[in-house]
Amino acid sequence: MDFYLGLAQIFGVHTLLGLSAYVVLLTGQVSMAQAGFYAIGAYTAGAMTAMFGLHILPAIVIAGLVSAAIACIVGFPALRVKGLMLVVATLAFGEMVRLFFFNLTWQVERNGDRVGPNGAEGFRSIRYFPENGWEVWHVTVFIWFVVVVVMGALWWMDRTRAGAVLRAVGHDETAAQSIGLNLTAVKVGAMTAGGFIAGLGGGIYAHTVTHIEHGVFGVLLATFAIAYPILGGLGSVFGTLIAVLFIQGFLIEGLRFMGEWRSLLFGALIVLAMNLRPHGLLGEHAPRLKNLFGAGPARPSDPLSTKEAK
Amino acid sequence: MDYFLIIDFVQSLLDGLLFGTTYALIGIGFTLIFGVMRKLNLAYGAAALAGTYIGVAATFAFDAPPPVVFLLSALGSGAIGIVVYYCCFRFTPTHYPMASLLASVGMLLFIDEVVIHASHGMPLPYPSVFREATIELGDIWVRGDLLFVFFICVVAMAVLFWLLYRTPLGLATRAVSQQPRAAALCGIDPTRVNLLTFGLAGILGGIAGAMTAAAVGVLSPIIAMGLTVKGLIAVVIGGLGSIPGAIIGGLLVGAAENVFLMLRGVTERDIYVMLLLFLFLTLRPGGLFGSTAGRD
Repeated sequence: MDFYLGLAQIFGVHTLLGLSAYVVLLTGQVSMAQAGFYAIGAYTAGAMTAMFGLHILPAIVIAGLVSAAIACIVGFPALRVKGLMLVVATLAFGEMVRLFFFNLTWQVERNGDRVGPNGAEGFRSIRYFPENGWEVWHVTVFIWFVVVVVMGALWWMDRTRAGAVLRAVGHDETAAQSIGLNLTAVKVGAMTAGGFIAGLGGGIYAHTVTHIEHGVFGVLLATFAIAYPILGGLGSVFGTLIAVLFIQGFLIEGLRFMGEWRSLLFGALIVLAMNLRPHGLLGEHAPRLKNLFGAGPARPSDPLSTKEAK
Repeated sequence: MDYFLIIDFVQSLLDGLLFGTTYALIGIGFTLIFGVMRKLNLAYGAAALAGTYIGVAATFAFDAPPPVVFLLSALGSGAIGIVVYYCCFRFTPTHYPMASLLASVGMLLFIDEVVIHASHGMPLPYPSVFREATIELGDIWVRGDLLFVFFICVVAMAVLFWLLYRTPLGLATRAVSQQPRAAALCGIDPTRVNLLTFGLAGILGGIAGAMTAAAVGVLSPIIAMGLTVKGLIAVVIGGLGSIPGAIIGGLLVGAAENVFLMLRGVTERDIYVMLLLFLFLTLRPGGLFGSTAGRD
């Protein structure tokens, strides 16, 4: 049972990571920096509980805020460029963060032990959960509580003006600018929100594994972060969740019986999925619940459908 | 200033400039593909590495001499480039760049895994030439193998320039990169040009991979990530879509990397290269040679 609860924890933190990239992708920007923000969150939250003895909740909120602040600062120079240049800039930033933690040694004395990040060895014994008697299912429930809150907030945001603004910038920057939207503010705002969510996810991740080291937060994690929302489709937050279940649940855990061939199949299936469903598994316009169950009144002509005509 | 420090500095700078030509080749490959398709091919570094492994396989199969190994590396990488085009770019929608981007990420993971499977993750020896030879200029030593790397890369660039500016194929490639629709109206088949560009870029990548492996002496899957990241940085510094820019950017990245290696050690080296990139993005977002169109 603990195995499945642990699996649910992995799904949870990866969903947070994917959602952080989702917010930025809504504005049409491909950010490879999410693994960097995730790392900042992980190290910050780890330092808060293990080194300064804070409670887990303020620790992850502080981690989120620190990541958000750094995302905001990075956003200004990085978002002056777009497309390929932004991919490279954010990729470089992510690597820079990873190398910073690779070189960071900062330990303090606590209960007779030295705790803190120790260079290439990583940050050991972030043992908040076991020290405070949390059981595995407590942790799982806690993680999914955070995930549901974040998903709910994003789902609600999608239905407000803010969501429309983000999508407007993502669809056509020139058109968005001509109706008076401030592109820089929107993009940096999305980046900041993404940084906050990644920081939360990283903070929780650090506590579930108790030992973090720089190698985890490499380019591979960054590509996973953008892979979830793109693979799931940018129509709604549920696309990201489904993609996390598909990648982590099916491709990584479900194909374990294939042994060594699993990792080969993994990349090939992503290529196949993008060729068959280029707009993601759920597509660009997520199916609404009422359309699925036929509960809502069927509209005779959907005014939105005209925009698909090319 | 300390005399030996200056000598060390010049020595690092020179080694870096010679080795930087491999980054320049990778950068040119990215720029070529971006030029004709306006897409980013993230599988490019991995494809270059896989091609290099094909060359190594030849040494195991029939004890091939180094020139044959280098040639096979280049051609193998070109062939893989064409496969990547068909798998990731041919059938994904052109107006939705994220699909092909993620497909190329999938391809990157796939190629990486194939290489690790085939080589069991162990580093393999790679033939290198002129390893023992050095040219001494006063207190500065020029390593023979690095000079060879530099020479081969310069020849590859010269051939590329000849192809692009003196042949009908190059004319077609430049036409598609300037205005795809107009090129298609003139009877140029964009698919064929794209295919050829992927093959050409693949060959350049294979040469870069082979030369990197020849300079290091061993071949391991880790090289791919370095090639990809450094190549992309070279492109951004030089300006997207500009081939001279990619060359200058590659040399600059190689030199900066080696100088920081001498000043700050191997673990901090890449941080400063990334900082250099950020400096360029802030002060000159279009790159050294980039037009404003390059920002798109």
